[in-house]
Amino acid sequence: MADDNTPAADNPYTQTYVVQSGDTLSKIAQKYYGDPSLYNKIFQANRDILKDPNKIFPGQKLKIP
Amino acid sequence: MKKQFVWLLAAMMAMLVVGCANQKGPAEQAIASAETALAQVRDVAQKYVPDQLQAVDAQIASAKDAFAKGDYKGVLAAAPAITAAIGSLKDAAQAKDADAQAALSKAKDDWGSVSTDVPKMVDAIQSRVDILSKSHHLPANVSKDALAGAKSGLDSLKSMWSDASSAASSGDYTGAMSKAQAVKDKAADIMKSLGMTS
Repeated sequence: MADDNTPAADNPYTQTYVVQSGDTLSKIAQKYYGDPSLYNKIFQANRDILKDPNKIFPGQKLKIP
Repeated sequence: MKKQFVWLLAAMMAMLVVGCANQKGPAEQAIASAETALAQVRDVAQKYVPDQLQAVDAQIASAKDAFAKGDYKGVLAAAPAITAAIGSLKDAAQAKDADAQAALSKAKDDWGSVSTDVPKMVDAIQSRVDILSKSHHLPANVSKDALAGAKSGLDSLKSMWSDASSAASSGDYTGAMSKAQAVKDKAADIMKSLGMTS
């Protein structure tokens, strides 16, 4: 049914997270995966709104695969 | 005198025989009509109201028994009740058939959305399990047991979904929806265990 990376972009069951002040993708990966090094999974899932994994802004709604 | 009595008795017997013979035809026709009417609804009655069908069959069998014994009057007396019973049987069977068709139609409609929904749930779970499997440490809200349970749960989900899809393919949308709901419920539990629902 799925590949082992990101689900389909329009999957309504993919968890989402609204970026807060001070957040980084690494911190978000720590929160959801227990491992900050997996931040790239979140970046890849949000290439439609993120150009640089180091540049995220409060209010952005990120897909958390 | 005796000769007159004998003639009178013979005449009465003849009238009796003729009278009975006159009822034989209508009695035979009554049974034939009942059997024809019943044949038209037998299949749907057998499916939805088998006990009621059995009762009507018993009524007709009784009438045929009476006919075999020459009780044509008895057959004709029973005919209206048999006709009414067949009418009730037809109404009951057709009502249940209509309900079943409506339920099937709804299930078919519901399957349309669930058939795209459920695979997406499974995809989302698969993705999270795959990522967590690569993690050096699990997040605070996900235990090792939860992850292990999610992995084995995914296999169950896929198997259950396969069964649901097979049921739908064979036209059993009611069965398919029942199975699909079980998949959704299990998937929701797994998502909760992985912290995917906050």
